[in-house]
Amino acid sequence: MRVPLAIILTLIAGVVTLAAQTRYTGPRTADGKPDLNGIWQAMNTADWDLLPHAAAQGPVLALGAAGAQPPGLGVVEGDDIPYLPAATAKKKLNGAHWLTEDPEVKCFLPGVPRATYMPYPFQIVQTPSNVLIAYQFASAVRSIPLKARPGESPADSWMGDSYGHWEGDTLVVDVKGFTDTTWFSRAGDFHSDELHVVERYTPLSHDAIQYEATIEDPQTFSRPWKISMPLYRHLEKNAQLLEFKCVEFVEELMYGPLRKQSSK
Amino acid sequence: MIRAYIALLLLASLPLAAQTPARTAPATKTWKQGKTPDGQPDIQGVWVNFDSTPFERAAASATGTSAAPASGNQNALLFADRAPKVQQRPSMVVDPPDGRVPLTPWAEQQRDYDLSHVQDSWEYNTTWERCITRGIPAAIFPAGYNNGYQILQTPGQVVILYEMIHEARIIPVDGRPHLPAALRQWNGDPRGHWEGNTLVVETTNFNGKGMIATNAASARIRSVPETENAHIVERFTRVDENTINYEVTIDDPKVASAPWKVAMPLARDDSYKIYEYMCHEANRDYMEITLGGGRLKEKTDAAAGRK
Repeated sequence: MRVPLAIILTLIAGVVTLAAQTRYTGPRTADGKPDLNGIWQAMNTADWDLLPHAAAQGPVLALGAAGAQPPGLGVVEGDDIPYLPAATAKKKLNGAHWLTEDPEVKCFLPGVPRATYMPYPFQIVQTPSNVLIAYQFASAVRSIPLKARPGESPADSWMGDSYGHWEGDTLVVDVKGFTDTTWFSRAGDFHSDELHVVERYTPLSHDAIQYEATIEDPQTFSRPWKISMPLYRHLEKNAQLLEFKCVEFVEELMYGPLRKQSSK
Repeated sequence: MIRAYIALLLLASLPLAAQTPARTAPATKTWKQGKTPDGQPDIQGVWVNFDSTPFERAAASATGTSAAPASGNQNALLFADRAPKVQQRPSMVVDPPDGRVPLTPWAEQQRDYDLSHVQDSWEYNTTWERCITRGIPAAIFPAGYNNGYQILQTPGQVVILYEMIHEARIIPVDGRPHLPAALRQWNGDPRGHWEGNTLVVETTNFNGKGMIATNAASARIRSVPETENAHIVERFTRVDENTINYEVTIDDPKVASAPWKVAMPLARDDSYKIYEYMCHEANRDYMEITLGGGRLKEKTDAAAGRK
């Protein structure tokens, strides 16, 4: 029997890919899964811009160097976000007005995958039937049942409706049921309520996770696209997720003109 | 909050019979407290407390001088999500025995001042209306809706997801010390330990900006401040398959002349789905109505004064 060359090459490529992946040898939970419990954080500048970018002047003069945009290599596979033509224009407009338009500035729930790579830690709480992710920013939280999605999400939400399962040592989380209100970055990357995100958390060691998110939204993008980055464990012995309840930092900004003048 | 407001408006027209408190299912005699793999008593699951019990008992002699609403069974009508699941009791407050929180005059003054200035600035509104937090322990006091709590346990910690204002409270049970005294938070710093089958959680390090209770169901206690010296001890005891007995002792000498205690059951409800309690994201309307209404009144008052 002749086997097409393409299939042979695909098989070889698959074997090579498997061999190149480091098998997780770290601690496991009682049910035999890699132990992802702990406090994690990305170490990149994707929250500023998902694509490769040089350092740049920030929009608030008074903040000087402290408010400048740090440089970054980018986290998008192929360095291209496949916006549809109309969406390209909106993204540019968003980016030009991020200080007034970005939901992050208003302390709104950050959405997925942005919550993962904001410059704040998050904590994974992993049980055999449920994974909870508590983010420091705005006390955002996701409770992820490890079971098949029972059907359409009953209501759209800022953090989406998440269901997870394990593929070998990789935790795969399927997220949909989003509102169209969150962004992906300060550069103005955005989406519609047809957003569908598939996240993959693959432990590289006990202290590092390779994170991937495939982003699909036919209203906004011409094809699915992918971001990836390592996440790092907080190793401080006394590490704990502290509060960043940012509502109180934006009330004057959002409601200042509404307050009684003599109440200041 | 908008969604919930609408639900409340709709509910106002429902017949009372639909909300009659039901008895909890009798405890299963064969039930035994299970353990997690690391040996903690297992209290995991989704728990609810749609509980129409009044927060306090009515005062023996009501003088009617307070700006705060009198305590009473006002919340029986307020459950937008589902009917109460637990037996109604005389009051949530079980100690002192008269079911009344021994508030200090200072606490009552603070509360009355804030409640009568809500139209001046967000700062006088409760931390719930500001969408910051319902606070600890108030996050577990029943409100009109979204009374869901998911408990998860992993080695060394118990985690409670409070549905309302989406907060995950991570409680170390690994013996670690409290945060340094200089580090203070809205919900303080919880540390837990197990006493037999009871989870005891001690919370300190409050920032002094929060409140003992924020919801209308707490009646007279709503908007009472919680100071930096608040010392909160909660006890979670699972007594059968479907019930956790919850107790909290609140010690905050500037606010109440003696420690006082609230007790209530939490009912397990696997069918209950916890929704995202989007709050701050849609709170502009509330602020426009409350503060904007205040500014409008100033204008009309000034115009009337000029005439």
